[in-house]
Amino acid sequence: MASAVAVVEEAEDYSFLPIIHDVIKCMDKDSPDVHQELNKLKTKIQEAREQIAAMPGIDMSPALQESRLRTLREQVQTKNQLLQKYKSLCMFDIPKPS
Amino acid sequence: MRKRGETVMAAAAAEKPTKEKLLSTLDDIEVLSRELIEMLALSRTQKLPQPGEDTDILELLVQRDKEFQELMQTAVEQGKVHQEMQALEKEVEKRDSDIQQLQKQLKEAEHILATAVYQAKEKLKSIEKARKGSISSEEIIKYAHRISASNAVCAPLNWVPGDPRRPYPTDLEMRSGILGNMSNMSTNGVNGHLPGDALAAGRLPDILTPQYPWQSADVSMGILPPHHGNDFGLEPPGHNKENEDDVEAMSTDSSSSSSDSD
Repeated sequence: MASAVAVVEEAEDYSFLPIIHDVIKCMDKDSPDVHQELNKLKTKIQEAREQIAAMPGIDMSPALQESRLRTLREQVQTKNQLLQKYKSLCMFDIPKPS
Repeated sequence: MRKRGETVMAAAAAEKPTKEKLLSTLDDIEVLSRELIEMLALSRTQKLPQPGEDTDILELLVQRDKEFQELMQTAVEQGKVHQEMQALEKEVEKRDSDIQQLQKQLKEAEHILATAVYQAKEKLKSIEKARKGSISSEEIIKYAHRISASNAVCAPLNWVPGDPRRPYPTDLEMRSGILGNMSNMSTNGVNGHLPGDALAAGRLPDILTPQYPWQSADVSMGILPPHHGNDFGLEPPGHNKENEDDVEAMSTDSSSSSSDSD
C-alpha cells in the first residue's frame, strides 16, 4: 500500500494537470491569481526541461540500452573466464632487474 | 515491401531516444495547455459557444500528460540501468588492465626462455664442434713441452745480455733451415761451402747432414752440436759455446740484427 501511494505521488510529481486545473479555476473565478498560476505552469515546464537534460542514460532508447547492458555483461564474463584460464597456467617467477 | 517498411519505421520509432520523446511530449503539453487557456479566455470574453474543440484539446492534453508520466518513469529506470552499466564498464577496464599486465609478464617470460634456448643451442653446437675436433691431452702436453723447451715463452735461467739465443728463429737459423738450404742447394754443390751462418747456428736439419762433405766434416770436428731430434731436449748453453764464438764472429760479417740487439 505504501509503495502504491509512493508510486501515485511520484506520478503526480510529473503531471501538469493539477496546475492547469488551478489556472482554469482561477479564470472561472476571475481571480487575480491567474497570472501567478500561469507563471507556476511556465516554471514547472521549464524545470521539467532542465530535469530531463540532467537525467543520465536517456540518450538512447530502452531497447538499445538493454542490448548494451547485455553486451557489457558478456564482456565481463568473457574477460573473467580469460583471466581464470591464464591464471591456471604455469606461471614463471620473473626476477626483477636489479 | 510494406511490411519491411513498417518494420523499419517501427524499429526507427522504437530506437528514438527517451530524451527526445520526453522533450517532444513536453512541448506538446505546453502548446496544448496554452491553446486551452487561450480558448477558454476567448470564450469567456466573447461568450461564443465552442463546438467541443476545447474538449478535444483537453483530451489530447490528458493523453500527453499520461504519456509524459510514463516516459519519466522509463527515464528513471534507465537512470538505474545506466548506473549498473557504469559499474560494469569500470569492471571491464579493470579486467583489461589485468589482462594487459598478464600479457606483459608472458612476453617477458617468452623472451627469457627464447634467450636461454638460443644460448643452450649455441653451447651444444660448441660442444659438438669440440667433440669432433678433439685432441688427446698427451699430444697437447707434448706440444707445450716443445714450445717451452725452445725457450719461446721464457728466457733460459742462465740467459745474460750478449747471449745470441732468441725466443724466435734468428736469421742464421732460418737460413740454415730446410727452405734456406733448398734455395742454396745448387750453389753449395759448386763451391762446397755452406753459408757461414748455417755453420755458426749449428742447427742443421737431419736431411742435409749426410749430403755434403763439409757437413760430415763439421760433424766429425765436433763443431756441430747434437741435433735436437729429441723433442723434449734443449742443448745446454755450454755445448754451444763453440757455436756462440762462431755466431759472434759471423755476426760481424752478416747483417743479422740478433747480435746487434745485445
